[in-house]
Amino acid sequence: MEEYKFLFKIVLVGNAGVGKTCLVRRFTQGLFPPGQGATIGVDFMIKTVEVEGDKIKLQIWDTAGQERFRSITQSYYRSAHALILVYDISCQPTFDCLPDWLREIHEYANTKVLKILVGNKTDRDDREIPTQIGEEFAKQHDMYFLETSAKEAENVERLFYEIAAELIDQARSKDNSSSMNKNLSDSVGLSPQGSKPPQVSCCSGLSNQSSSQTGNT
Amino acid sequence: MTLTSDIDFSSSENVNKILYIIKFEEENLNHNLNDLLAKQCKIEAYMAGINKGIARMNRIINDTKKLDCQIAHTANLVTSVSAKVRRLDLARSRASDSQQRVHDLIDLQLCGQGVTTAIVEEDYEVAAGHINRFLAMDLQLLKRTADDVQGSESSITESVRILESGAIEMREITVRRFEEAVKKDDLASVERFFKIFPLLGHHMEGIEKFSKYICTKLAAKNQKELRNAMDIAKADKRVHLAYADAMTSLLENSARVIEVNQPIVEAYYGHGYLLDMLTILQRQCDVDVKNLINEFVKNRQIDRRKKLVNEIFSRNSNSCSATSNLGHYRMNSGGAIEKLSPKDIDATIVEITIMHSRVELYFRFMKRRVAMDIEECSDDCNTINDKLQNLNNLLQNSDLRRHAQELLGTYLLFERYFMEESVLKAIGLDVHDSGQLSSSMVDDVFFILRKSIRRSLTSMSVNGTCAVINNAAACLDHDFVNALKSHLQQGYPSGYIDLAQAYSAIQNSLQQGKIHSSDNEKARVNFLVYLNNADISTEYIDTLWRTMEQEIAGAYPSMTMVEKQLIESCLSELKSVRDTLKACVDFGMQQLKSSAINPRLHPWVDQYLTHKHQLTEEELAAYEAGETFVQFLIVQIDGFLNTFKPCLTLRNYDALISIVASELTTRLEKAIKKCVFNRLGGLVLDQEVRALGAYLASATSWSVRDKMTRLTQIATILNLEKVSEINEYWNPQHSSELTSWRLSQNEVRTILTLRIDFRMEDIKRIRLQ
Repeated sequence: MEEYKFLFKIVLVGNAGVGKTCLVRRFTQGLFPPGQGATIGVDFMIKTVEVEGDKIKLQIWDTAGQERFRSITQSYYRSAHALILVYDISCQPTFDCLPDWLREIHEYANTKVLKILVGNKTDRDDREIPTQIGEEFAKQHDMYFLETSAKEAENVERLFYEIAAELIDQARSKDNSSSMNKNLSDSVGLSPQGSKPPQVSCCSGLSNQSSSQTGNT
Repeated sequence: MTLTSDIDFSSSENVNKILYIIKFEEENLNHNLNDLLAKQCKIEAYMAGINKGIARMNRIINDTKKLDCQIAHTANLVTSVSAKVRRLDLARSRASDSQQRVHDLIDLQLCGQGVTTAIVEEDYEVAAGHINRFLAMDLQLLKRTADDVQGSESSITESVRILESGAIEMREITVRRFEEAVKKDDLASVERFFKIFPLLGHHMEGIEKFSKYICTKLAAKNQKELRNAMDIAKADKRVHLAYADAMTSLLENSARVIEVNQPIVEAYYGHGYLLDMLTILQRQCDVDVKNLINEFVKNRQIDRRKKLVNEIFSRNSNSCSATSNLGHYRMNSGGAIEKLSPKDIDATIVEITIMHSRVELYFRFMKRRVAMDIEECSDDCNTINDKLQNLNNLLQNSDLRRHAQELLGTYLLFERYFMEESVLKAIGLDVHDSGQLSSSMVDDVFFILRKSIRRSLTSMSVNGTCAVINNAAACLDHDFVNALKSHLQQGYPSGYIDLAQAYSAIQNSLQQGKIHSSDNEKARVNFLVYLNNADISTEYIDTLWRTMEQEIAGAYPSMTMVEKQLIESCLSELKSVRDTLKACVDFGMQQLKSSAINPRLHPWVDQYLTHKHQLTEEELAAYEAGETFVQFLIVQIDGFLNTFKPCLTLRNYDALISIVASELTTRLEKAIKKCVFNRLGGLVLDQEVRALGAYLASATSWSVRDKMTRLTQIATILNLEKVSEINEYWNPQHSSELTSWRLSQNEVRTILTLRIDFRMEDIKRIRLQ
């Protein structure tokens, strides 16, 4: 057995065909396998990453987007530490379904789960959802936001590493939750961007486009 | 000589000296010369040897040249021979070619003559055989032969023409006769003409036509099966499994087609055609399964039940966020929404798992059979892989697969409902039989969970099993733990702690005219039972995941790496519920401590303050003659523990003793620090602490010594003859006697001051390192 300091479970959800499997493959294997079939049920990958010298084991559950697998995929929400909700920036319907997904998350997942909204396929020319709209939606629903391209490997590493960093912060502040104030300052110190103000809406931490502005605060 | 030129000869001394040098030089030279002369002999011997060697070498060179000549000669011979052999081979192959051509020509003639007569005589096998022979010939070559051999040209082209038209005619006849046979449903003729197609080189056409014929047969059979199922579904013993049975026979029929026809196809068509057959067959299978599923969904009211279950789930998830569901059987509160008893869907759940497992078996069978056929058909790795990929796609993208996935989804929804409802029911109908440590709900809940997980194994889907395990963990974590907590939160009633409570209790009992203490007694038993429930659950959950791990390994012997990890991770999730249950036990213990242990224990220990600790000999004798403090304390604690011993599990009882021991020692320590002692008082204390330690050690299976250490050390200090003695304990001369002190230096000094006969200066003077 390999040694690791934390074990986090990350579940990817979202409509069929938005690129969940590709994001996971890109991150875990560095591949972009085009034209592969739809995921059946759930797929499972493990990757160990190193954040600030600590080995972190990430269990990544890649769920099937198709409706008929819902009974299977729902059962994985409860134990998730982070939920990545993915849509396709070139496909309006996948964005329109987000409220349904949020309802499902609300019903099955832990209330404290870390939620990340990801707009995938930024490599496509036929964008239908502007970045700002996605960002806005994430802010409204208390989620982190990031746009990625599994094909171009853009922001994929960053997505998972920042989730890991955020979860470490959460775990650490849980460990010594008695001293709440100390933790807030702690989490700033541990944050890789080093710029995240503790009280500001969590969207800013991961938000790609707006991070330059937040960086100055 | 150079020596002599510039040397001074003036004195005889010098001359002598030079002479001596010259003499020495001469000796050296002589010596060297002798050495050289001695070597001459050896060198001459070498020279002689070399000369002999040169002579021999010359001979060898001559021999080698001769050999070279011979080899070159042989090589020439060999080349000429092999050229002849090659020419011979060529001639022979040409001869055999010619022979083949002659055979072909003869056969062509024969076939040409035979085919017409065979067709006329309706001996189609023979005619097809002729055509097959003709198709195997190289037509180009035949034409050239015809050109070469003047005269016979016309007869050859004639034969070719006859055979070509014969082939066309045969094909038409075969197609016609095959269709006639199909119309007449004459299986023998169908098979007869099915075997002729490959002889005419129309493999695909044959497979296609035959498969279509079989499909019509299958469709008829399956329709009958379905009607049968619907009849059975109305009234029969296997009424609950009617659709599962229909599904079974439907899939078995399809599988049988492949099984029965595989040898025929392979014998007459060769390997590699089974996939084409399956492609056509699967279409029919999909259609029939769809009909069956439609009937199933209609008859078993699947959609209505699914809707109902979903409604109940969403209602529940909304309500439970507001008020935590304290294990009330939620059906009772609903009323407005239609009831769906878990028992009702139990039968349907079983039926679905069987249907799903049949589909899995069907896919496995088809995959194995057809893959075997594909691997035989070619040596080329790429074509095999392509075909295998096609097979995989065919099965994965089939309607049957999709239906199976939908069935699994329905199953999981129902199974979750069944599990959660049954668990809530078990919690709602919880019964405690007196004399039992725990109540019925623990056994019942774990029985239900095990049943559900086991049932998921029969669906033959790893994904399904994982989901059920996840749901089981969620159910335990939520409904079950809540039920435990809600009971433990009510606390352990232990008499009247404050006046207000006592007053209201008396008021109540007066008003209701019943004895209140029995209610209290019931609540007490109830609390302990739930404490035991929580403890036993931690054990049961270990057993549950362990047995399930084994059974899963048995049920899915050939899991892939990913599937294994999936199962493992889901099981570990189930395992982790144990921590939550453990936290429940700890919570209950804290409740017990604050409401039962502390209020009793404190007054008993505080009795110590009422005793005198500066004793004379007479007083000591009198004290020991009566009931000493420690005797009183042990009797009280023993009585207290004994009331709990029969009502608690072993682990809980041990935990209770542990809490009692810690509380006892800290409280007694506080009491001691409030008293003053003389020598005899210290002596008594030391004895009493020993007695207490011995009692606690006897009361429990694990060691309480650790908890007694501080107290024992305090007693030791108070029992000293004189202050300086402390050093023998603190820094003993023999390191083996060194005890690890739980008291700090300051604490030691403070305790020493409790002895009124110790002088302050002495205490200040002691040196502790």
